[in-house]
Parts: sequence; C-alpha cells; structure tokens
Amino acid sequence: MDQCVTVERELEKVLHKFSGYGQLCERGLEELIDYTGGLKHEILQSHGQDAELSGTLSLVLTQCCKRIKDTVQKLASDHKDIHSSVSRVGKAIDKNFDSDISSVGIDGCWQADSQRLLNEVMVEHFFRQGMLDVAEELCQESGLSVDPSQKEPFVELNRILEALKVRVLRPALEWAVSNREMLIAQNSSLEFKLHRLYFISLLMGGTTNQREALQYAKNFQPFALNHQKDIQVLMGSLVYLRQGIENSPYVHLLDANQWADICDIFTRDACALLGLSVESPLSVSFSAGCVALPALINIKAVIEQRQCTGVWNQKDELPIEVDLGKKCWYHSIFACPILRQQTTDNNPPMKLVCGHIISRDALNKMFNGSK
Amino acid sequence: MAVQESAAQLSMTLKVQEYPTLKVPYETLNKRFRAAQKNIDRETSHVTMVVAELEKTLSSCPAVDSVVSLLDGVVEKLSVLKRKAVESIQAEDESAKLCKRRIEHLKEHSSDQPAAASMWKRKRMDRMMVEHLLRCGYYNTAVKLARQSGIEDLVNIEMFLTAKEVEESLERRETATCLAWCHDNKSRLRKMKDLLDPARWRMLIQQFRYDNYRLHQLGNNSVFTLTLQAGLSAIKTPQCYKEDGSSKSPDCPVCSRSLNKLAQPLPMAHCANSRLVCKISGDVMNENNPPMMLPNGYVYGYNSLLSIRQDDKVVCPRTKEVFHFSQAEKVYIM
Repeated sequence: MDQCVTVERELEKVLHKFSGYGQLCERGLEELIDYTGGLKHEILQSHGQDAELSGTLSLVLTQCCKRIKDTVQKLASDHKDIHSSVSRVGKAIDKNFDSDISSVGIDGCWQADSQRLLNEVMVEHFFRQGMLDVAEELCQESGLSVDPSQKEPFVELNRILEALKVRVLRPALEWAVSNREMLIAQNSSLEFKLHRLYFISLLMGGTTNQREALQYAKNFQPFALNHQKDIQVLMGSLVYLRQGIENSPYVHLLDANQWADICDIFTRDACALLGLSVESPLSVSFSAGCVALPALINIKAVIEQRQCTGVWNQKDELPIEVDLGKKCWYHSIFACPILRQQTTDNNPPMKLVCGHIISRDALNKMFNGSK
Repeated sequence: MAVQESAAQLSMTLKVQEYPTLKVPYETLNKRFRAAQKNIDRETSHVTMVVAELEKTLSSCPAVDSVVSLLDGVVEKLSVLKRKAVESIQAEDESAKLCKRRIEHLKEHSSDQPAAASMWKRKRMDRMMVEHLLRCGYYNTAVKLARQSGIEDLVNIEMFLTAKEVEESLERRETATCLAWCHDNKSRLRKMKDLLDPARWRMLIQQFRYDNYRLHQLGNNSVFTLTLQAGLSAIKTPQCYKEDGSSKSPDCPVCSRSLNKLAQPLPMAHCANSRLVCKISGDVMNENNPPMMLPNGYVYGYNSLLSIRQDDKVVCPRTKEVFHFSQAEKVYIM
C-alpha cells in the first residue's frame, strides 16, 4: 500500500502544479493581450494617420515590451521547473515497483505447443465466465476450433445465473426440476430453496399476492419431510402479510443476502452435478501465482546474492513452501517428519508398529544408524 | 475463492506485477511534458522576436502605422502562445490524471468489503490477460475483454496498437509510419541508442521490427505467464501425474486436462509438512478426523469410514476389498 501512496503523493504534487501553472499562464497571457490591445487602441485614438508616435506613448510601449518579454520568459522557465516534480513521479515508480521479474520464469519451458494449450485454457475460462464473444473472438484470432460440447454446459449455466442475478427464478427452477434425481443424490436442497425464494418474493408484494402465495405453497409438499421447520416459518409469515413482513418477526425472510447466496448455491450444485470445479482452473492457478510470485522473486534474489544458484535449478521442486490456504489442499502430501522430504514411489511412506509413519529412507537410516 | 490472499499479501504482489501499469502512462506524461516545453519555448521565442522588432522600431521615431502593425503582430503571437500553452498543459494534465486513476484503482486492493475486493481481483486477472493477449497479437480479443471487464483505462492497449500499426506498415514495405514513430520517440531512443544519424534510420527500422517481433515471441514472458507458471508450480503435486490417473481431483487445477500438460515441465510445490486429504470426503484428516489405515495400506478419514460403514464392514473405495471396521488402525503423521 505504501508503494501506491508514495507514487500518488508525487502525482498529486504534479497535478497541483499543472493546475496552478495553467491558470497563471492563461490569465497572465490574457491580461497581456488585453493590455497590448488597449494600448494599440489608445494610439489609434490619439494620433492621426500619418503622425509620429508621441514620446509618452513610446515610453509606455517600451515598458510594455519589457513586461511582455519578462512574462513570457517566466512562463517558459516556470514550466521547466515542473520537470523535477514530473521526474520524481518516475523515480517513485522505479523505487517502489519491480521493473523486471523475468528472472523468476523458466527459460524455454513453454515452447511450441504451449501457446495452443494456453489459448485452449483461456477459451474455456471465458466460456465459464459467460464471456461468450470474447471466447469466440479468441478462437478466431488464435485459429482454435470451438468444441460445442465444451461450451454448451457453460452457456446454459450462465443463462440461468444471469436470470438469478436479477431475481428471475424460472430458468433455475426448470433446470432443478429436470435434474431432480441427481440433485437429491448429492444431498442438494436447491429446488426447495428456489421455491422458498419465489414464495418470499410473492410475500414482498403484500396482500394482493396472498391467494397466489397460498397456491404456490403447494409446491412445498414434496419437501415437507426434510424442510418441515422452514416451511412452518414460511407459512407462519402469511399472518403478517397485511401489516407487512418488514414489520413482523419474520423480517429476516426479506434479507437480500439470500438472493446473492442462491447464485453461489446454484453454481456449486450445478458444477458438482456436471463434475466441474466451481472456480475456473485458470482463476485458481493465477491467484495461486499471485501469492507465490513475490516469495519466489525474493528467494531468487537471495539465491543469486549468495551465489548458490545451483540450489534452485537442480531440483524440480520450488525452493520454498507457498501457503495457499486449506481450500487448496486438493491432494494428500506426505512429508517425512525426519528427513523433511516428500515421499515418492521410490521412497514411499512406511508405517511403524507404533502407528507413526515415516519414509522408507528414514526407516533405513534408523536401522543402519542404531544398534 | 479458493486461494486466500490477505491485504498484505495483495500489497506484496502489487510490487512485482504492476510496474507496467504505472510506468507506461508515466512515460506518456513525460513525453507530453517535453512536447509542452518545446511548444512553449518555441512560441515564447516567437513572441520575443516580434517584441524585439517593436523595441527596435520604437527606438527611432516610429510612425504610428508601423507601430500599430507590429503591435498586431505581438498580440497575434501572444494569442498563439496562449493557445498552444493551454493545449499542451491540457495534454499533460490528461496524462497525469490517467496515472492517478490507475493508482487509485490499485489502492482499492485493500478494500474491506469482500465484494469490492473480489471484484478487484477479477479485474486484476483480466488486466493481466489483456496485456498477455496483446503481446500474443490477439488484439481484437484483448479489446473485447477490456471493454467487457470495464478496464479500458487500466490497460496499455494504445501502446500495443501503435506498435501493431508500425509493424503492419512495415510488412507492406511502407516506412512512413515507422519513421513517424521514431520521430515521436526520438529523445528516448536517443538516450537508448545514441544513433540518430539519418543514414542509420534503416537500421533503426530493422531494430524496431526485430524488437517488435521479439515482443510477440516473448508472449510467454508476460506478467500473466510468469504468474501462471508460479501458480501452477505452487499447486502441482506428484499425485497430479500418477500414471493410472487414480489420484486426480476434480477441483485441482493442475489435474485438469490442458493445465496438466502445461504444468508438466514446471517444478513441483515444495511441502515440508504433511497434509492428508481423505479420498472419500475431500476433508482434511487431522485430530478431528484422524487418519485410519486399512489392512491394504490405504488411508481414509475416520469420519468417512463411519459414513460408509455398513454392518460393521467397510469397502475400500480404491480396491473394493471388504474389511471389518475394527481392522482400521489409527496412524500418526507429524
């Protein structure tokens, strides 16, 4: 944050100077122009056509010339003075931001085919985000052919999500109904939640919707077993329809967050059903990189400083651990507590009689070490 | 979002990713400043010249006619100076304001509101992707993405489009555009190369073409690419590349088809501490969900074994072997 504040401070100074200079410049020149014009007028008025210029006016004019010269020269030098403030902005940027991070890249690791693979990943990412025309444009510019089966699920999901964002529940409900069995199989209560929200939206319309709300409540029937309490609450709220739900103990039903939440719930359940990850793999990888990048750059600088560059290049492992948070623990990792290395197929984890697990190499060392 | 990033973390990342975001508009500001100074100096000298002429005339019994016409000249030159000065300052001010807008956007990374913070992160990725796409030469895609994401002010599209124009004109064997570019960037080039001998401009053109082509080939060195490589490495584990594919996780980005291939030549994550993830539930195995080993050597979480237990028996999801629940032994990882 400090970096931004430092640069911003210098920018503010420059902007201030430009503004001040601009005003002075415009006003000063305007005054000069008026004054000079006024003098010309005076001369014309007080002299005949072929006359000679009077001594007084000649003197006044001479002074005017000096004033003009001084003013414009000051204008030029005042502008020059702003230069140091401008270059201070550049220096602040150079000092607070790293200009070249290419050292952290691995030369030549992404060659021929990688460009195409990366384009594929980006296309899929854009389909996921609902940016259909960006995806198609990229396909066109990069020469990729669009795989309709790849794009289809996302097109529909995004259509439903866009509707949900403006509180239109129908498309989501249709989808939930047609996927009812699979949703139940994965313990999803999406359909009920959608019905619930629709009911609530009717409540918000007041007593005019009373009959429709009662009618709609029939949709809760299949969920009576699993969501009894919720349904009771919903039906109970009808009592307060006349005086307004917002003035009743049921005011929490109007909480706007539920509408944001239903988008997330739908996304999660739909992706689980389709076997997709919830977040775009590209987004997750990029975010992970944002966390890893500064740490890697720092360690690279330290390695170079201490001239032990061999350390990084030899292993095909990063030199440091990067903490991405528990949500990114997709796979099990076993690191031997004794040797502090990940186990591999050649060096698998072994269970001791006491139940502790160490790597085979550590086990061998213990056997050979102690008597 | 899957990856946790604190405000402090975001701040550290700013330092290594955002140099181009700020430096490019700054260089434009610098350029416009120099142009402004040139304009002001030139017009000032014009004014000074006509004033000197007037002074000369005044010193030797001037006729009203000549004085008046000289005065007209002075007023005219002053007006030109005023106009050019105002225009130049406006241009400088515009550049400085663009820099300020970008800084203000960058500052928003520390917003307390989660919605604003996640919007900022999304825009960050879009910004980096736009620059990457420009480097690859996919200009239309870049422009569309910038527009849809609402980040047109924050990315350096103009710089790349200018380069594209020069390149395309060179391909048509036209040199005018490139020469104009050289002239435009004369003073910076002068500092860089020390050659502005007119005879050398052919070499300069070739140099531009080489640099520009290199810029495109170096598409794989965009900030986006470097960030992505670092991220893939940080996630990559040996499990993502097991031959029988038994350990793939549907949520793991590196296990997904194209990223799996891309991540292959990259280093793996470094993990000094163990973490076990239950294959059945995806939950972490720890003191709340102790790891249990079946006689066949596979380890699952206690809670998961409870959930798949039927008639006191469990079926190993990997091998389908049937065991007694009591055969599962607690194991300890440190």
